[in-house]
Amino acid sequence: MKTAISTLAVECPKHLKHALTLLHESLATERLTPLAGGTDLFVYLNAGSHRGTRFLDLAPCAELRGIKAIKGRLRIGALETFDRIARHPKMAAWPLLVQAARCVGAAQIQNRGTIGGNIANASPAGDSLPVLLAYDALVHVASVRGERTIPFRELQTGYRQLALEADELIVAVELPEVPAGAKQFFRKVGTRAAQSISKVVFAGVLVPGRGGQWSHVRLAWGSMAPITVRSLRAEAALLAHKPSAQAAAWADVALGEDLVPIDDIRSDAEYRLSAARHVLAQFLRSSHAGFRG
Amino acid sequence: MSDGKPTQAPGTPPAGMAIPGNRTMPKEDRLTPPVWEGGRAAPPNGDFRMIGKRNRKVEGLAKVTGRAVYADDLVLPRMLHAKLLRSIHAHARIVSIDASAALALPGVHAVVTGADMPTHFGIIPWTEDEQALCTDKVRYVGDAIAAVAADDERTCEEALKLVRVEYEPLPAVTDIETALAHPEWQVNEKAGEGNISKHVRLEFGDVDGALAASDHVVEGDYWYEGSTHAPLEPHCCVAEFDSTGFLTVWSSTQVAHYLHRDLAKVLNLPTQRVRVIQPVVGGGFGGKSEPFSLEFAAAKLSMVTGRPVKILYTREEVFYAHRGRHPMRLRYRTGMTADGAITGTDALVQLDGGAYSSFGLVTTYYSGQLLTAPYALPAYRFDSTRVFTNKPACGPKRGHGSVQPRFAFECQLDKLCEKAGLDPIEVRRRNFIGERTKTVNGMRVTSNGFLECLDAVERESGWAAKFRRMPYGRGIGVAGSMYISGTNYCIYPNEMPQSAVQLRLDRSGRATVMSGCSDIGQGVESVLAYIVCEELGLDLRDVRVVAADTDLTPVDLGAYSSRETFMVGNACLDAARHLRLKIAQTLAERWGVAAGEIVLANGVACASSDPGRFAISVKEAFQWAEARHGTLGSVGWYQSPKLGGEYRGGTIGASPAYSFTAHVAEVECDPETGFVAVKHIWVAHDCGRALNPVTVEGQMEGSAYMGFGEALLETQRYKDAAPGHAFGLHHGPSLLDYRMPTSLDTPELHALIVESVDPEGPYGAKEAGEGPLHPSIPAIANAIHDALGVRCDALPFDPPSVMRLLRAGEARANWERARAQVGGPR
Ligand SMILES: Cc1cc2nc3c(=O)[nH]c(=O)nc-3n(C[C@H](O)[C@H](O)[C@H](O)COP(=O)(O)OP(=O)(O)OC[C@H]3O[C@@H](n4cnc5c(N)ncnc54)[C@H](O)[C@@H]3O)c2cc1C
Repeated sequence: MKTAISTLAVECPKHLKHALTLLHESLATERLTPLAGGTDLFVYLNAGSHRGTRFLDLAPCAELRGIKAIKGRLRIGALETFDRIARHPKMAAWPLLVQAARCVGAAQIQNRGTIGGNIANASPAGDSLPVLLAYDALVHVASVRGERTIPFRELQTGYRQLALEADELIVAVELPEVPAGAKQFFRKVGTRAAQSISKVVFAGVLVPGRGGQWSHVRLAWGSMAPITVRSLRAEAALLAHKPSAQAAAWADVALGEDLVPIDDIRSDAEYRLSAARHVLAQFLRSSHAGFRG
Repeated sequence: MSDGKPTQAPGTPPAGMAIPGNRTMPKEDRLTPPVWEGGRAAPPNGDFRMIGKRNRKVEGLAKVTGRAVYADDLVLPRMLHAKLLRSIHAHARIVSIDASAALALPGVHAVVTGADMPTHFGIIPWTEDEQALCTDKVRYVGDAIAAVAADDERTCEEALKLVRVEYEPLPAVTDIETALAHPEWQVNEKAGEGNISKHVRLEFGDVDGALAASDHVVEGDYWYEGSTHAPLEPHCCVAEFDSTGFLTVWSSTQVAHYLHRDLAKVLNLPTQRVRVIQPVVGGGFGGKSEPFSLEFAAAKLSMVTGRPVKILYTREEVFYAHRGRHPMRLRYRTGMTADGAITGTDALVQLDGGAYSSFGLVTTYYSGQLLTAPYALPAYRFDSTRVFTNKPACGPKRGHGSVQPRFAFECQLDKLCEKAGLDPIEVRRRNFIGERTKTVNGMRVTSNGFLECLDAVERESGWAAKFRRMPYGRGIGVAGSMYISGTNYCIYPNEMPQSAVQLRLDRSGRATVMSGCSDIGQGVESVLAYIVCEELGLDLRDVRVVAADTDLTPVDLGAYSSRETFMVGNACLDAARHLRLKIAQTLAERWGVAAGEIVLANGVACASSDPGRFAISVKEAFQWAEARHGTLGSVGWYQSPKLGGEYRGGTIGASPAYSFTAHVAEVECDPETGFVAVKHIWVAHDCGRALNPVTVEGQMEGSAYMGFGEALLETQRYKDAAPGHAFGLHHGPSLLDYRMPTSLDTPELHALIVESVDPEGPYGAKEAGEGPLHPSIPAIANAIHDALGVRCDALPFDPPSVMRLLRAGEARANWERARAQVGGPR
């Protein structure tokens, strides 16, 4: 049943510190649900599947905004919307996140939906998540006890579960510098061009080392498992190898072992896996002529 | 719906359709329409000033500025809100309903159940098998059981949770096979036997002989996935039963007249004390062409509480209301001679009807009857069976009943062309049935612009340079179709007109058109205004259209079967011409000129022989005429001539005029992922005459878009039992999960209007709202074959299905072979 908006309460903090205090104090009674763009929360409220009745509006927390480059690294505030991310000039060095941002829902969703919300919502189909994994992103979180930093890879613990304390907020994500000469690739396979939940979403980074062998490989997948995953066997099949048709074939076989796709109404497992293999093949072909054999 | 004469069908007459004893059939005597000098197609004032021009729609500004008043915008004093309790089982007996706790909840005013209005109703009088709220059984997940009225929706929802329903689950039937295999699991007790909703078998000519004598015969099995309309506006109504015992219902319906009748029947009220008003409707596509639970429930709750009651369906409920396109399994055998002449067709069709009949009787006929043009089909047989299943009822969706067989047949034709090594456009041309002719099943064809349609799509698409000539993965395909411009019967037997208009002219220079017709966005109110402007020389701003209010407007049957422009347009043309004649005679007398010289155009009335001397404003002309004849008013009506084949069911599919369409679709497919991108659709449509080219193009593009969505994306599936939900639940009753194409997915649509000028249509117009959808699906399927060498015989053509086809067959080899046939530069 749809949740009546009139029964809900929203707390408006003055700043981040105040927000963290309110959130912490709320644990004694009903936990405040952080509210960013609301594009996930409203869906839950509409379906009547969100139990909470009290919300913490993050909008007043200026500390959660801003896209800043610091010594080659990039810090993106949790409240930054996908539209802002896609348009920001500093994003040029992290093109995969720009591409992912442009794939989230459609223009209206990109105007409201935030990267913090995408992370916290922890859907296996979250489009920005494989990018964060492929870029070795760090996530800064805060509570009344202070700030801490968690690698994105370690943040996800299970289906829609994060290694976050109930009174912690995501403050920002940090993207390390992408090694020079990296080949980068993003692809979302959905059922339609907009407003579509991914069947497969992929972000890949390949860095050529000295002698032509790949020195750094990241192959990250969404919608293939309960959490966003890297295909470690396929990565191993490429790491320290030169681009060749042989390497591509190994990676393809390894991928079949890495990925045990989720079977749901959106797409059957068999199709997801075959689409994933094609996406990987496409990436390899586009990154180096050698893969074409 | 028989023609009254016990004539023998050319095939086996279908069983069923017995006429209840208390109903009399119409005599077939038809009213004679007025005959106008120069005919109905001619402009009244020498040349057209309004018709054929790119005019605005009369309600357009209100819609784009958010001022149009839809049913949900209505708020009446003391109004209550109501909600329906819906079944969580696909099939179950209702053992008991206890609403006492719900009634006790503060803010709740009333609860009604099926027992409060048990009378069966149904849009087709021969298959009245629905109840406003179920009394003893639920037949699909979402079937309505009870309704609660309260101060607000929120309280309604709380109250619904308190209604205790005790169910006894029954085995559920969710597909055609199970429905046929288990007649003992009867879904709908009104079925004659088992789960058979309707069976029709008709044969015209010697089909077996024709097929045996063919050079090529192709046999194919096709699957048409059902789809739903998804109008932007969910169903909504407000009902008010006043202290005098008079019921007014505002509803987002496309058939105010039928709703009027059924409300009176189910609520046991005299029809003259019921008024139905259709506010602005936000799309229907056939999904609002019969009464629904909400209208009865709101009305009953208003009668019980003495207060106005509103019900607004959620999007999820719109999926349960459904009445969408029937899933169909189709088996076709089609023959052709070596030089490309179609010899015969044998069709076996099964329709998955869902839980109720809806329009199903007609759908079952349409699944065969509407295939007999634009090609001459010398011999034809179809055997169609509609079954009941425990799913939301299927009904009419844009292109009612004939989109599915058209898909199968046009794919058959493409396969035959491939076999015979002939160009599919050329073959379609060779089989052209012609103008002023009759189809094999006895349908009269008047105008026919199909050849021009083929020419247009061939030319505009660059067909000759593309077909079988593009690289692997890219392809182009063609398909054709026909559709009705209204049917020649009201769906309940009577001898009265199908459409009517009352027109009044005011001495201020204003005209008011009143008609029961239903504008659901297709623009019929604008059509009426254009006609009045054309005939009387008025500006569009000086005509008001009052439509679909059963107290104020004469009966029109509503917006279905693409009838409005043709039928109510004709009624309006007659009404306007009667008054034009009066005005012309008045002026001719005063000026001493011939009445034929009088021109009413651009706000001026003048004599064409000497406009310098004899000219006044149209407003003055109205005043002169009023002084001479008394108050100015007129009526016009439309009744179709006697049409159809001389056999039982021979009138179903008979229409006063048929529209014709050809599509060429161009696709780009990714053989690695199975993804099909439709790049272009060229749509050529013979609409007789485009009264407003913009709205015709809108209909053509909208139709092609809708067909494209059904071809590639839309799925209508029901889940198996699993934790958290019941068996038979719709897979995704939301606009996020039910995947219709977005604007980004949509191909370039090229609308090419063809005007054959029909002798009987208003100014020669025929339909444009449904016909242009039909060829979308087969044109895309045929294009995919040209691109990849696989035959998509089952909808939707989504990536997993295309991948399966690519893996299963020798796609590439088939592609090479087809290419070799028509290959080489021309
Ligand atoms: C029509 C539609 C289409 C969509 N399409 C896509 C798509 O294609 N791809 C995709 O990935 N997603 C899609 N989404 C989902 C959604 O838009 C994204 O997940 C978005 O990033 C959520 O951000 P938000 O700011 O709106 O989150 P909210 O709805 O405000 O919050 C989501 C969750 O995160 C929590 N939260 C938010 N911010 C923080 C924070 N700083 N710290 C801790 N917790 C926090 C909230 O408490 C809540 O539990 C779609 C949604 C809709 C409605």
